[in-house]
Amino acid sequence: MVEAFAVASGKGGTGKTTSTLALGMALAEEYDVTVVDADMGMANLLFHAGLADVETTLHDVLVEGGASVDAAVYRRHGMRVVPCGTSLGDFAAADPTRLREVVATLAADTDVILLDSAATLSSRAAVLPIVLADRVVVVLEPTIPALSDGLKVQEYASSYDTGTAGILFNKVRDGDAIDRIAPKAERYFEGPTLASVPASDAVRAARRAGQPLLAYAPESTAAAAYRQAASELSVRDRDSGTVADRFRSAVVPESP
Amino acid sequence: MKLPDGRLVRSRVVSDPRTVLVDALDRGLTGYAVLEPQGSLLLDDDGRGVLTFAEGVPVVAYHTGTERGGPPALADLAASGPYRLNLYAVRPGALDAVHDRASFRVPPGMAADRLAGDQSLADRTRELAPEDWTTERTHDSASSGERSVGAVEAFLDDERKIEAIREEARAEARERAEEWGFGDVG
Repeated sequence: MVEAFAVASGKGGTGKTTSTLALGMALAEEYDVTVVDADMGMANLLFHAGLADVETTLHDVLVEGGASVDAAVYRRHGMRVVPCGTSLGDFAAADPTRLREVVATLAADTDVILLDSAATLSSRAAVLPIVLADRVVVVLEPTIPALSDGLKVQEYASSYDTGTAGILFNKVRDGDAIDRIAPKAERYFEGPTLASVPASDAVRAARRAGQPLLAYAPESTAAAAYRQAASELSVRDRDSGTVADRFRSAVVPESP
Repeated sequence: MKLPDGRLVRSRVVSDPRTVLVDALDRGLTGYAVLEPQGSLLLDDDGRGVLTFAEGVPVVAYHTGTERGGPPALADLAASGPYRLNLYAVRPGALDAVHDRASFRVPPGMAADRLAGDQSLADRTRELAPEDWTTERTHDSASSGERSVGAVEAFLDDERKIEAIREEARAEARERAEEWGFGDVG
């Protein structure tokens, strides 16, 4: 079985990468999880996962005649992690549409694929993870632009037959009236509110330490909220071969 | 709402309300901004948004189309950009009568936090707000006796605007799918 989720928001700064790794680690308690940094133009997952110094990244796999997918897979924190490099030159040389083949290959050997997506909908490379995923997890903050951009992500997703697994409110502070905002937001999103993650100093400290939140501060309230979100996320039992075929047959042109 | 005449200090088109807040804060402006949507998302969404400032800090919000004041007026301004912005400075005290309308007031950091989604700008703004401005609590807290609707809630209550945002995104997704060669979509 395998299901691919794009962790997306449409707006920067909502904590997508922190959320991707936290959901990944929480889901890894039960499933075989692979996390891919699909934010190919502004990659940062490697810094969060202690992989800043690795030799081979997704960029190397996405170039013509490049490395095999396996060479860019690292076992960390109970998951398989595929980081992406940060060089703009490498991004320019990479062919993002090859991501389809990468995800198809990974799908053969995992239960859950989490694609950390770009904070924009303005380019083909940015939207591609949403096209490839089965469902999106929309990361929101309780602000008007975050909700507005989250709604746009959902509309893009449904236009490409990608469903919405749920919404995740992040960086929530006391006085945000999240108990009133979340039910109102749910009226417009197809999925439930998976969790409301409180703003936390532990998140910044984990990032500085180069560790995922659930490894750095597993007892924090934010970590508990992510575990709650993971338990709310129902992973569908899908046949790996079918999913791989879906990725391979996704209608994506080969040339930019 | 009767606004005093002011000296025009800036007139331009802005895509994001954040620009207005940063500009007013950096100038320490006492005055007001008038934001008029250009090529609005909603065809019948006419009217202008007014936001007043005291030394760079937002005080009162009002929307001439919906005739709503306070946090809901911030929601009325949302997602209607780009806007034609006119920013006016006034002499000290000229806005006192306007600022006395408690129901039109917004908490100092709300526009930056909720409308612009910029928490650090909101923190900077709150730091500059006089300590006796306690509206932050009265508008954000349900325990304040008179439960006010926050800007985010007012935004989510505006089903027509949300549907317009969704429709526009769907149209954009279809258009770009064609442009990017994502195949038959929609």
